[in-house]
Amino acid sequence: MLAPMDDLLQEFVAETRETLEALSGEIVLWEAAPADRARLDAIFRFVHTVKGSCGFLDLPRLGHLAHVAEEVLAQVRDGQRTPDTGLVSAVLAIVDRIGELTDAIDAGRSSDDTTDDLLIAALAEDAAPAATPVAETPQHARAVNRSVRLGVELLDRMMAGMSDMVLARNELARRLRDGDVDPRVEGALDRLSLTVAEMRDTITRTRMQRIDALFSPIPRMVRDLAAPLGKQVALSIEGGDVELDREMIELLRDPFVHIIRNAVDHGIGSPADRREVGKLETGNLRICARQSGNQILIEIEDDGRGVNTDRLVEKAIAAGILSELDAQRLGDQARTDLIFHAGLSSRDTVTAVSGRGVGMDVVRANIEQIGGRVAVRNRPGQGLSLILQVPLTLSIIPTIVLAVGGQRYAMPRQSIEEIVSLANPSVRIDPLGGGRIATLRGERLPLVSLGDVLGIDDAATVLAIVTTRDGHFALAADAVLDAEELVVKPAAPAVMASGLFAGQTLPDSGLPLLLLDGAGIAAAADLRFNAPIAAPAAEQEVGRPGIQALLFDDLAGRRRAVALAAVDRVETVSSHDIRDSGGRLHLTVAGGVVPLVACGPLRDGSVDVLRLTDGATEIAYAIGEAQEIAALPRALAPARRAGIAGIALVAGEQVELIDAHALFAGEIAPVAERPLCLLRCDGTGWMDVFLRPVVEAAGYRCIDDAGGGEATLTLAMDDDPAADPAAIRLARAPGGPGIYRYDRAALSAALAAHSGRAA
Amino acid sequence: MTELFLIAHIADRGVAIEGGLVDSVVDIGEMVAVPRAPAAIRGLAALRSRVVTVIDTRVALGLPPTETPRRAVIARVDGHLYAFLVDSLEDVAPHERLPMTAGASLGSGWACEGRGIVDRDGEPLLIIDLAALIPGGLAAAA
Repeated sequence: MLAPMDDLLQEFVAETRETLEALSGEIVLWEAAPADRARLDAIFRFVHTVKGSCGFLDLPRLGHLAHVAEEVLAQVRDGQRTPDTGLVSAVLAIVDRIGELTDAIDAGRSSDDTTDDLLIAALAEDAAPAATPVAETPQHARAVNRSVRLGVELLDRMMAGMSDMVLARNELARRLRDGDVDPRVEGALDRLSLTVAEMRDTITRTRMQRIDALFSPIPRMVRDLAAPLGKQVALSIEGGDVELDREMIELLRDPFVHIIRNAVDHGIGSPADRREVGKLETGNLRICARQSGNQILIEIEDDGRGVNTDRLVEKAIAAGILSELDAQRLGDQARTDLIFHAGLSSRDTVTAVSGRGVGMDVVRANIEQIGGRVAVRNRPGQGLSLILQVPLTLSIIPTIVLAVGGQRYAMPRQSIEEIVSLANPSVRIDPLGGGRIATLRGERLPLVSLGDVLGIDDAATVLAIVTTRDGHFALAADAVLDAEELVVKPAAPAVMASGLFAGQTLPDSGLPLLLLDGAGIAAAADLRFNAPIAAPAAEQEVGRPGIQALLFDDLAGRRRAVALAAVDRVETVSSHDIRDSGGRLHLTVAGGVVPLVACGPLRDGSVDVLRLTDGATEIAYAIGEAQEIAALPRALAPARRAGIAGIALVAGEQVELIDAHALFAGEIAPVAERPLCLLRCDGTGWMDVFLRPVVEAAGYRCIDDAGGGEATLTLAMDDDPAADPAAIRLARAPGGPGIYRYDRAALSAALAAHSGRAA
Repeated sequence: MTELFLIAHIADRGVAIEGGLVDSVVDIGEMVAVPRAPAAIRGLAALRSRVVTVIDTRVALGLPPTETPRRAVIARVDGHLYAFLVDSLEDVAPHERLPMTAGASLGSGWACEGRGIVDRDGEPLLIIDLAALIPGGLAAAA
């Protein structure tokens, strides 16, 4: 019994049947005129195609038949054999058998194969013409073909007809509503509405295909990519039965291949590299698709190296995409998102597999073109996840309908972050130069009036926070009318020329609606998201400028400054990552913990911190809000408050300059410089659990293996026979050799003495 | 050789429109304005389930806008449907395409639209190319 037919097999059966039907005429003609080259070529192409497909689909028997027929035909084409009646009959018998077997595959039954050899033997050059066996026609009824192949164009026409029907239904309903209607007519209309709605769903479904069509070539692809690189990749695919618009699957193919390629080539390391960082030699690549509302989420996750964001930032600065100042302000996510910039790759080398100039920027452009989004989650050293979010179908886009000056415009829902009323007290609008700025929960956004952009008189009451690839802005409109799912089509070039619109649609109201393009509106309003911040302030300084400093408001709201050279970056962290541990505040960061200085009460939620460094030690400094970068005057007024180096006057305002030296002088030495203490653990765990914290608190770094470095000090239990004679012995009971293990004073003194010697 | 022409009136003048381009002739219903589009784009209208871009032919010809748009000729150009406003329509008839009368001055926007003339019972009618009326369209290519 054959396995349940998958899509590929079904496709093969349909295609083979189609060709056979078209070929039947050729076969008859070839029989009549065996020297006819064109007929011969047609039959040759057929068996050749069947052979190729059989190899791919693992149908050895059919493949073998096609193969021998192909060989004989090739000989005829080369003139090595003449197509006599015997040969023609034998080839035709094979073609017939291919047809029978195809039917058998379709019907899911096995077919008698005892006469295959006879058919093949009949092809031999010395076969007697009379020996051509008559294939026993199996008396099974041919399986009824329940599938039809349709052109997408026909489906599109069905879809358009469907939309016409919906509109006609709506108009009918509108007209009926105006007058007195017989309830029977109303009942009929309701039934019609129901049927139309069902029909619409069904027709939409005809365009759907299982996402397996996208996933099925991946195992082979991963294998082919990994093998030459000497990598081992375990692939897991989930959610292949999620359905998606056929056209969407085609459009996803290229970006998808690119992402897989990146994961195998750049993400997952070689077995040796992976062993070195303590991972299993075999890398994992997980692909998972799931439906969420009318969106499909496809997640591609590897457990490789992740993206080196420092390198990305360096490259972005070198390429002039970012200024140093902007780079310091970037959060971790924004740093990772740099991979979507054209021409930026965290890799320095181009390999045979990827790096052919097609970058993540192209992937993102492709996904956005079909109304989707790409998100990236980077775990440096642990892997990378890419999440593709695409709509179920190409044509239906969820939108929000905005009103301005009596007109209606739709905007894709995915580009609207949120909608707030101007009456909301948390919204503030201020003029800024010739433009306006909206402040929403502390975030400043450029304000664009939809009415101004479109040249319509408006009376704005709401703000839509619009996200574009480059940044956010607030769009003022009169009202939000509706959320609607719309079939969007491209508009005429002269309509699209303004760049403000992404397409047009005909909603059920029967009046055309234009779809707004967020990025186009930002461009029309002349928003420049990458404009350098506060650069002119530095230029205004006359004479020799002092040091560059970052100005910020501290937790108590005081304007302060810190030397820019000491700032590694500005970061927003969660207050959960800040803990009062070990007697002071510490901030959890990607690589461990760093001491945190807070000159005031910390807010709950998110906290902005400056990550300061002197090149070796790091300190986090909690602030209220970063302001700008300015050059400080050389002359500072002396300060009397501890930790403040002086008072500078910046733009008429007093600014306290943080004494970076004092800040760092107050810190303990970096971990790497601590003396080593070897703990000779005896297996009871006492040393590890009880002793280690005491030793570490005294400023040591503990190891429990002599190979870990040259220890300044060794601690051993009194009964440890193998211990170094210089080791400090700890007695289990008072009065034993060495120090009694709970004599804390003696222990601390011994630790302090050795620590001092080491320093 | 004769071709089919749709005889219509635009801006109070008789014109001949090449029949091959014309999809249908309709009465235009309610229109939606298109902000920031060339003036010749009068708006968008619904034609069954499709959206058509309405071209005010008078504006495209450099004349003041049509006062009450009603009749329109629907044509498909480069895959998009356009409705060209006309004053009135007469009929479709075969005519012979004649070269432009040498030295004739057409005036204002008409100049670039002339593609020859047809002779209807002694009355010369200008042949206009609808695609050339689309702003930013195919005038250069035609």
